[in-house]
Amino acid sequence: MTDLAETNKPAEFVPGQPDMWAFVFFETLVFTAYFGFYLFYRSQSPELFLRSQAQLDLRIGIFNTLVLLLSSWSIARCVQSARAGAYRPARRDAYLTALFGVVFLCSKVFEWARQIRMGNGFGTNDFFTYYYFLTGIHFVHLLIGFVVLGVTIYQLRSPAPGVPRSPGSRGSRQELVETCATYWHTVDFLWVLIFALLYVVR
Amino acid sequence: MVIKFNKRLLVVWVVLASLTLSYVWIDHSAAVQGGLLRPSALVTSGVIVIALIKVRIIFREFMEVRQAPALLCRLTDAWVLLIAVVLLGSYFAGMAIR
Amino acid sequence: MKAAAIQKAHPLEAPAGPLRHRIVWHCRHNPKRELWLAWWTLVAFYNFFFVVFFVLTRTQPPPNPGWDTPRVVQWFRDNHIGILVGFAIMFVITGMTTMSNALIAYSMRRMSVSRAFAYSYLVLYSLSAIPGMLLMCVALTVGAFRPDRDPELIHWIYDFAFLSFVGTMGVFLIGSLVWMLAILVDKNRVFPKWFGYLNLCNGLTEIVVSPAWIFRRGVLAWNGQIAWWLDMVVFGIYTGVFIFLLRRLIQREDFGTGPLPDVAPRRSSDLVQAAQ
Repeated sequence: MTDLAETNKPAEFVPGQPDMWAFVFFETLVFTAYFGFYLFYRSQSPELFLRSQAQLDLRIGIFNTLVLLLSSWSIARCVQSARAGAYRPARRDAYLTALFGVVFLCSKVFEWARQIRMGNGFGTNDFFTYYYFLTGIHFVHLLIGFVVLGVTIYQLRSPAPGVPRSPGSRGSRQELVETCATYWHTVDFLWVLIFALLYVVR
Repeated sequence: MVIKFNKRLLVVWVVLASLTLSYVWIDHSAAVQGGLLRPSALVTSGVIVIALIKVRIIFREFMEVRQAPALLCRLTDAWVLLIAVVLLGSYFAGMAIR
Repeated sequence: MKAAAIQKAHPLEAPAGPLRHRIVWHCRHNPKRELWLAWWTLVAFYNFFFVVFFVLTRTQPPPNPGWDTPRVVQWFRDNHIGILVGFAIMFVITGMTTMSNALIAYSMRRMSVSRAFAYSYLVLYSLSAIPGMLLMCVALTVGAFRPDRDPELIHWIYDFAFLSFVGTMGVFLIGSLVWMLAILVDKNRVFPKWFGYLNLCNGLTEIVVSPAWIFRRGVLAWNGQIAWWLDMVVFGIYTGVFIFLLRRLIQREDFGTGPLPDVAPRRSSDLVQAAQ
């Protein structure tokens, strides 16, 4: 834990609290159920779904996916920097993650506004119900992600000058940072699935 | 050490981005073939499989499951498999019931 | 002084003997008797709830929001006795929820977090029983009370009842978040952290129910697969888990203010020591 340089072959460890992993698995199950319903009902009325899907812009979806993948990259980098004791770069990466998150948010809102202006609302047809529902609940998860990022940045703060950090706190701070990163990656991979199912699946 | 890890992360991102961009190609070729939009089990299955490959990469690289105890590795793999079964199962069940 | 000495002498296990003697001993000497009373009330309440809503009144799973007026009147007629009897029982036992809320608030008092969490949870949940359950009970009872009422009115009562029951998840959502926050910040290890996250899962599934206000058919209607069925599954798991964890809490309780031990204390003297 304290010997940071010789991490050529790191020992096995669970990244973050195991409790957060329990959450990840449970939430993934719930989302999988949502996706299952979506795919089932999609195959019941394929023409309707295909027609409506054509109104979505694949490019915005690709852009959103790339942005969120970038945010996952930056928070993963942040965790590694923090593990190596480099808190300044780690904080920078955490802020970068937040920035990518904001870009995603804005892009999403812009896309929703565009769809609504085109006349496709929540209740327009079954496809758009699923579209707004899945992207909406994901949006909520992303908002929670910002709170989680806030916790991360707080854990990475520099100590007040002259005040030594307590010896045990480094390990627990690292665990919290990893826990928060695990949550953020979950938001990312859920979006990967949502994007594939809403925008590309035929 | 940190630089070496960073490079790996960047490579991972490039791989994920390429898989994402492959969707553009799939979308394009599906449209060209169909002319009018047509449902395609092949495209759907392919898209779902690619998405799950990306999810597994995120698990193993970004979420550091590669360096985790075997139990976590197996659990995440089991979850990816479970998602595949549910997604493909729902889709094909729906097609069969129509 | 003397009372403390006597208390020191009593072990927490009841003396062996016939069941009646042991029960009497527990009622008189067990320092956790109020907690256990609250817990058993909670369990009893959920059993009653299940029987009343799922079996007697058949209001869960909810009937279809897309039905036309004659069909709705038919439903009232079919469930006439069940509704009246079932909800009459409900009105009598609603007070049991106070014990349940008090126990959960107690768990937050035992945590190292501010008491504000426990108090806000109590207030939230005392109020939430009204839109969350009682409105539907009252409305459906009113609807069944005079079967020869104007069918349009009956349809209105039907919509009002189910929308108020399914659609007002917001109060429970905030309560879940309060409990979650308390658990995650707590240093006394009262509950495992994964239960805090389960509160978040439960809360998020409750958000998903809100589109029931818009849809009369499909997966997001008040009887839909996502808005009701999936939500019920998650809620059922959540309820089962917290009933189990509350039981563990009471077993582990040492009436102190520090971290909760993992093992139940064996003697009253342990409790006295922890309190000091």
